[in-house]
Amino acid sequence: MSDTPIISVAGLHKSFGKLEVLRGLSFEVQRGEVLAIIGPSGSGKSTLLRCLNFLEEYQAGEVRFDDQLVGYRRSGGGKLKLDSENNTRRIRARMGMVFQSFNLFPHKTVLENVMEGPLVVQRVSRNEAEQRGRTLLQRVGLIDKIGAYPAQLSGGQQQRAAIARALAMQPDAMLFDEPTSALDPELVGEVLEVMQSLAAEGMTMVVVTHEMGFARQVADRVMVMDRGEIIELAPPAQVFGAPKSPRTAEFLRRVLH
Amino acid sequence: MDYIWQWNQIWDYRQVFVRGMQVTLILTCWALLIGLVLGLALGLMRSSRLWLLRVPAAIYIDIFRATPILVQLVWIYYALPILSGVQMGNITSASVGIGLHAAAYIAEIFRAGIASIDRGQSDAAKSLGMGYGQAMRRIILPQAVRRMVPPFINEFATLMKLTTLGSVLAVNELLHEAENLINNTYRPLETYTVVAVLFGLMIYPFIWLSQRLEQRWKTRG
Repeated sequence: MSDTPIISVAGLHKSFGKLEVLRGLSFEVQRGEVLAIIGPSGSGKSTLLRCLNFLEEYQAGEVRFDDQLVGYRRSGGGKLKLDSENNTRRIRARMGMVFQSFNLFPHKTVLENVMEGPLVVQRVSRNEAEQRGRTLLQRVGLIDKIGAYPAQLSGGQQQRAAIARALAMQPDAMLFDEPTSALDPELVGEVLEVMQSLAAEGMTMVVVTHEMGFARQVADRVMVMDRGEIIELAPPAQVFGAPKSPRTAEFLRRVLH
Repeated sequence: MDYIWQWNQIWDYRQVFVRGMQVTLILTCWALLIGLVLGLALGLMRSSRLWLLRVPAAIYIDIFRATPILVQLVWIYYALPILSGVQMGNITSASVGIGLHAAAYIAEIFRAGIASIDRGQSDAAKSLGMGYGQAMRRIILPQAVRRMVPPFINEFATLMKLTTLGSVLAVNELLHEAENLINNTYRPLETYTVVAVLFGLMIYPFIWLSQRLEQRWKTRG
């Protein structure tokens, strides 16, 4: 079982109206792998990530999570139909997601934010949820902010709380959508540190990022996207050291200087 | 101006005002209940992605906002029984009519409130595995309600004032009682003044409360 990929994408197409954002992507993510997705803005990175847990519907191709089709099911005739909300929810609950703009629940304290998923979705006891919450907040260095509301935290603290909230569901994989792009430069480090420690523990991670340092040092493989296509997918040493595609080289030249 | 105010006669008839206020409050409560329940349902339907829910809600809201409430009340009381055989009493007709009318406005308040919550909130809720109902109940509505309080109190005040239209269906609410009283006492100035003050006393506490809540929620962000 551990040799089957946790996420596999085949021939994925996604359009917003007439605008084709993803043009037939195929790739796999192995268990415990850290995949960084980089590329110019507008290349479809975030949309791809949002298709993985079906926050965006896709029009063609397949996304599979742990060998289960995400968002659709095959009807009798082999045609794809929208899956029931319950099935989609069950799959989403197994993937944690961290957003660029944190998206903490502003009417709940930090601890309540982290307890929300386990309490409401997994229906664990209050004690258990609080236990998990405290452990995770300790881990991301926010144990002293447990009773604070999100508006009282810095961006870096909010993002660390958001990571703890996603981890509280004990997910099999984590999706990061430009987690440091909305942060002041001096706060980027504390968030990357938490992500790095997660990676070291063997968490499966898909990270859309502009942090080339993170992609180079932490990722097992780097995917370069441009105009809705994968133009390169290889270990960081190769992508950064000897890019095959001239578009990759061009992109790296622009972001690294 | 040497009008001589005569309050003692009004005081003698104080029971009339109390009775009128009771009916006004009953009308308000029923209309509010109907308006809230139906308004929430319509507001959610109006925000739906399914046209089968969205379009009927939009038609309802547009019809009730585009026609005068006085016509709606009279229609429900006089025309509906002929068409459907359903004859409601005058208090029921007025409650239902004002409630149906308010529902259209309350639906818009709910819809706007829900729409004002950043999409990232529902993304976050969904990514945790929450369903539509859970996300609405636990994440979206608690935030939306705070933004809805000022327009909602506004609608509530409007609704209470609209109950005076019950007088055209001979509902003995405060204004109607007052008009009857004027026919006996010939003291319109005093009577209408008291009616205005009583409405003010019933409505103002809610306006005050709304301002307090807004202040309190502002500090917590």
